[in-house]
Amino acid sequence: MLEFQGVHKAYATPQGPLRVLAGVDLTLAPGESLALMGESGSGKSTLLHLAAGLDLPDEGEVRLAGASLASLGEPHRARLRRETLGLVFQQFHLVPSLNVIDNLRLQARLAGRESPGWTTHLIERLGLAGRERHYPERLSGGQQQRLAIGRALAPRPALLLADEPTGNLDETTAEGVLALMLELVHEAGSGLLVVTHSPAVAAPLDRRLRLSHGHLAEPPP
Amino acid sequence: MRRLVAGLLVMLLAGCGEAPPEGQAGFAGLGADAEGFRQAGPEVTLRFPGDHGAHPDYRLEWWYLTANLEDAEGEPLGIQWTLFRRAGRPPSSLGEPGPWAADQLWMAHLAVSRGASHRVAERFARGTAAPRAPEARQAGVTVRPFRSWLDDWTLASRSEAPGADALDHLAVSASAGRGDDAFGLRLALDAQGPLVRHGEAGFSRKAEGGQGSMYVSQPFYRVAGEVVLDGERVPVTGRAWLDREWSSQLLGPGQAGWDWLALHLDDGHKLMAFRLRGDDGDVLSGSWIAPDGAVISLGPEDLRLTPLATREVAGHELPLRWRLALPERGLDLEVAARHPERWMPTAVPYWEGAVTVRDRATGEPRGVGYLELTGY
Amino acid sequence: MTGLGVALATLLSHYRRHPAQLVLLLLGLWVAGALWSGVQAINASARDSYARAEALFSSGLDTLERRDSAPLTRDDFIALRRAGLPVSPWLEGEIEAAGGERLTLIGLDPLTLPGDGPLGPGGARLGAWLSPPWQTRVAPETLAALGLDRETAPGAEPRLADGRRLPPLALAPSLPPATLVTDLAAAARLLGRGERLDRLVAPAGELAAAPEGYALTRAEARLSPGELTASFHLSLTAMALLALIVGLFIVQAALGLALEQRLGLLRTLRALGVPGRHLVGLLALELCLLGLAGALAGILGGVWLARALLPDVAASLASLYGTEIGTRLRLPWHYWLGGLGVMLGGLFLAGGGVLWRAARLPVLALGQAQAWRGRFHRQLTRQALAGAGAATLGLALWAWLAGRAPGEGLIAAFALVAALLLAGALWLPPLLATALAGLGRLARPWPLGHWALADLQLQLPRLALAMMALLIALSANLGVGSMVGGFRLTFLDWLDRRLVADLYLAPPPARLEALDAWLADRPEVAQRLPTASGDTTLQAVDGAASGRPVELFGITPGERLTATWPLLANRDGRAPAWTALAAGDAFVNEQLAIAEGITPGSRLTLAGPDGPVRLAVTAVYPDYGNPRSQVLLATPVLHRRFDARPGGLGVALRPDADTAGLTAALAERFGGEVTVRDQRQVKRLAVDVFERTFAITRALNALTLGVAALALLASLLAQGRERRRRLAPLWALGVPRGRLAGVQLAQLGGAALVTGLLALPLGVAVTACLVGEINVAAFGWRLPLHVFPGALAVTLATALGVALLAAALPAVSLWRTPPRALLAEEDSP
Repeated sequence: MLEFQGVHKAYATPQGPLRVLAGVDLTLAPGESLALMGESGSGKSTLLHLAAGLDLPDEGEVRLAGASLASLGEPHRARLRRETLGLVFQQFHLVPSLNVIDNLRLQARLAGRESPGWTTHLIERLGLAGRERHYPERLSGGQQQRLAIGRALAPRPALLLADEPTGNLDETTAEGVLALMLELVHEAGSGLLVVTHSPAVAAPLDRRLRLSHGHLAEPPP
Repeated sequence: MRRLVAGLLVMLLAGCGEAPPEGQAGFAGLGADAEGFRQAGPEVTLRFPGDHGAHPDYRLEWWYLTANLEDAEGEPLGIQWTLFRRAGRPPSSLGEPGPWAADQLWMAHLAVSRGASHRVAERFARGTAAPRAPEARQAGVTVRPFRSWLDDWTLASRSEAPGADALDHLAVSASAGRGDDAFGLRLALDAQGPLVRHGEAGFSRKAEGGQGSMYVSQPFYRVAGEVVLDGERVPVTGRAWLDREWSSQLLGPGQAGWDWLALHLDDGHKLMAFRLRGDDGDVLSGSWIAPDGAVISLGPEDLRLTPLATREVAGHELPLRWRLALPERGLDLEVAARHPERWMPTAVPYWEGAVTVRDRATGEPRGVGYLELTGY
Repeated sequence: MTGLGVALATLLSHYRRHPAQLVLLLLGLWVAGALWSGVQAINASARDSYARAEALFSSGLDTLERRDSAPLTRDDFIALRRAGLPVSPWLEGEIEAAGGERLTLIGLDPLTLPGDGPLGPGGARLGAWLSPPWQTRVAPETLAALGLDRETAPGAEPRLADGRRLPPLALAPSLPPATLVTDLAAAARLLGRGERLDRLVAPAGELAAAPEGYALTRAEARLSPGELTASFHLSLTAMALLALIVGLFIVQAALGLALEQRLGLLRTLRALGVPGRHLVGLLALELCLLGLAGALAGILGGVWLARALLPDVAASLASLYGTEIGTRLRLPWHYWLGGLGVMLGGLFLAGGGVLWRAARLPVLALGQAQAWRGRFHRQLTRQALAGAGAATLGLALWAWLAGRAPGEGLIAAFALVAALLLAGALWLPPLLATALAGLGRLARPWPLGHWALADLQLQLPRLALAMMALLIALSANLGVGSMVGGFRLTFLDWLDRRLVADLYLAPPPARLEALDAWLADRPEVAQRLPTASGDTTLQAVDGAASGRPVELFGITPGERLTATWPLLANRDGRAPAWTALAAGDAFVNEQLAIAEGITPGSRLTLAGPDGPVRLAVTAVYPDYGNPRSQVLLATPVLHRRFDARPGGLGVALRPDADTAGLTAALAERFGGEVTVRDQRQVKRLAVDVFERTFAITRALNALTLGVAALALLASLLAQGRERRRRLAPLWALGVPRGRLAGVQLAQLGGAALVTGLLALPLGVAVTACLVGEINVAAFGWRLPLHVFPGALAVTLATALGVALLAAALPAVSLWRTPPRALLAEEDSP
């Protein structure tokens, strides 16, 4: 589903180039879930951006759904993102001018894959029933992140990429949101790559990897 | 101003969607019905010099002069000076005509031609049949002394000896254009023979329905004078032909136009012939004029007039070479335009130009003349 | 819905949540478009009138008059025709429609008018024109005056005020408004002319010289209305352009705001897989949709505005130049298309920057909605540089104009004004930023003041555009206002000094002598001041060939006149100049002096009836309101040396004279033949003309300022919510709401004050350009530069007032917001 081969990535800084990834290899099978852990600034988010085709590696190859992202043009990458991926951000990034139901359906409609039954199901499962016409600003933080997760899962993406999905939530809320996300990923049949620094978030997933000094390694048990 | 006038005239001419346009009958409306006007006919008796003047109770009239001239080197020139009169309504229907009444419209044409050069001008004037002093008329014709004019274009008698016809000694003058473009004429005409009445004592039948005109000519002029062309003054001599014709209904309703010839033959004879082209066949007529002025009218049985070749001039396909035969007289002539570019781009457009006459068999020159083609 | 449709709907959903921004955008477009297209509509409509008037009167017709001033008659016409001269008779007079409207009736003779021959296959139809009951040609917009409409008009024979009927009507859209054209015979009857003619006309240049006993006026001696009024319309266009630009400032501000607030949305959409190029395309499409809606509304508004303003414009043109334009709009198709084009072009110019930024949006900077505000400083530097460029251009233009004869380069002068305004506008934000930074350091000890200054710096990127619009509008307003005010002063003074006679009499030429003799015997008359006029060609100035048509005017240099008559330049002093005039020298008006570089001492060669006439120039005089070049001579000299027509007669009265008595005696003796106007009447008429002429200028000026105020208000309203959010922490820290609102007012008031202060020198510079260059080029006269302290104060007050008004609404809304809500707003993202 997702494959990194010898991926290098560095950023120019005033203090000289900053190596973030130094030969990362990674394979994620369809339906598999993986937690990517590491300290702040270890390059987890960079890896996620590379996986989503939002950025390109300096060296090595990232393959998503069998296609090498670097060999595709921007419109193709955008299409792949639209149709294959779901993205969940720490800051939610809901569309403030769309109400709950329109936000939820947004990506599915962009991908042309809207399924009313699944949407209704999601609304129920996300606990947002009765709030379809509300605008995001009237939702609590947990509700907003549940909505963001729903939006990412609405087109039943092959892979869900989540960047610190509970980073902005308090602990209790975070647990609920996380549990719901895992259940829904399972229902949707999607693969899952979660970037997190929280062992509690990583624990329920199939695999865990730790990124440090630009390399991936199994975390100490 | 020009634009307004041009626009105005276009509107007038095009009808502009107001009053429904009168049916176009014949060339220039000459076949139109003539209610209220006097009709030409064989019963009309001609009286001169009175009939040299205008006939406002007839719809249409002209004083039509053409001349075949040559300069000192023998190079041929042609000139035309014409005054037309057209009555808008019969004099009997006039109420109180104001100072600017326009029940009579006058139009004059001037053409001077040599080789490829063909210069044309026209003038217009309004007038009335109501009595008015000659000095108060922009255009008109007086009988004693004979004088016809529009603006400064005049055809007038030079001297009238007792007993002589008023048209025997004329002076014609007209000019147009300015500077290098100037052209015009100043000629003295002296008749070498009498006035000629065509048709039935002056009534020239033009259609089966009785339409026709009163038609008199003075074909015997000798000419001397001066022509101005391209700003250059050219002394000239030659022969001229004056046609006087008036009518209220010249053409039959189905007649589209005519081909008309006036020839000066070298042996002193004059020959006038015309063909009126109609829907129901052509009307053919003419006059064979002896040097002493004796006239023999020619009918369809006496006259063959056949176009030999046509040519496109100013967008019109025109017959400019003709066979003219008078079989009884053993005459078989070929008449050809000296130059094709003699189109008159006037408000009423037509072709008018000098022709040469040759024997058809031998090709020998037999004379000169003028050809007029209308309705093409 | 396709993916693109969903993306577009998502983008547009922003306006559903922020309808004020949409309203603002459309309002900006509408106002800018309405002002621009309104003026364009007026110009187009007027141009149409000119074209038709020129087609009728001026292009290529010389006119003949009798030298003995006797009326022309048919005898003149026929005598000249029979002498071979291509003249045509012409009747022209006024008739009164049944409804009281006065219309011009023209009678002409198509048979002799220059043009194509009229007789032909349609001769029968020419008959309808030439013979009773004749025909009347009329433009459709004249029908209303006759109480008819398009359907009922053709063939109708409307009744006139005197009970007579017009010949049957036929529509002729190419005719000028308020003009009827009919055959000479019909017109002679309706105007009661008998055999008399009003004019004899001839194709231009066709007559080599005037025939014996006649005076010839060449067609080129009469300026066409289009030429006369070109400068007037250029000024209108410049003002409309200004309004358009100010309106587009609003549009750009609104678009920038709408994009800035959607940056996060754009990034989210890209993360969700909408390609960047699609997004830019969709934004462009949004711009098109908004543009079309705004432009159409603007054009419709413009038509409405033009309809409202046109009668004023028509009145000022009629009084200023004597040209009639229709008071009903006639708009050619290209007006609509052109208007749409300019509006959309302007919109894309304003929105281009926004699209450019959207296209370069980095997809990874998710969540950094403030990204471009960081670039504000670089933008300020660029603006300062661009402003320097504009200023340099202005300097170069000024140097170029200074090196040329005055009055040349109308376009360059307008460009100079534009460069000045642009430089000022571009420099405003860097100036404000610098001032704020400096003040901020000074205000460090006062926390709230320090905060207010820092906060204003943050607001600056958004306020800058509105402030720039305000600056331009203020400067233009001050510039135009000072010009008009200065002109008014100069004009009134000039009028006072020039109107020396107590009574102005206009007798028909034939009665002049009798009138003069009668006046000579009246005891109350101190002096008679006969005038005369004529036309000729200026052949040379100091030997250099010219060829300019000039007007000749004769005055009587009597005591009353020479004492006050205004002169601009003279060689040896006023008194010798007047003596020289009486002795046969000439004065020239300022227009002519500027156009030909004539100074006192120059020698003119004028075309006289018997060959060239050489004259020495001893003075130059101001001649406001006259579109033509004029040479002034003593009346007897003018009569002696040129074909002069006797003009009016000024009458200076003895100090204790009984004006009313004299007027009454005049009326009794000469009946209605002599028009009598007293000085006050003439002055009132002139001032009236002046006021009406500049009414339209003032109206446009005020509208432009209104637009700028709107721009400022709009910018403030648009960010009101965010402002409140920024104020909330202060409130939480214990600053009362009233003070917060006051701080806001002070912030804006301060910024506006700086703007207003900058507008003062800029406005004066604009005035200098207007009076020193544009007026000279457009009208031919130079005015002294007047700076009115009152106007400067009003400008400052306007700036403050506009800003405070614009700040008041958000401040009030802040005042009324419950404190809790402020923090709630702070909470939400």
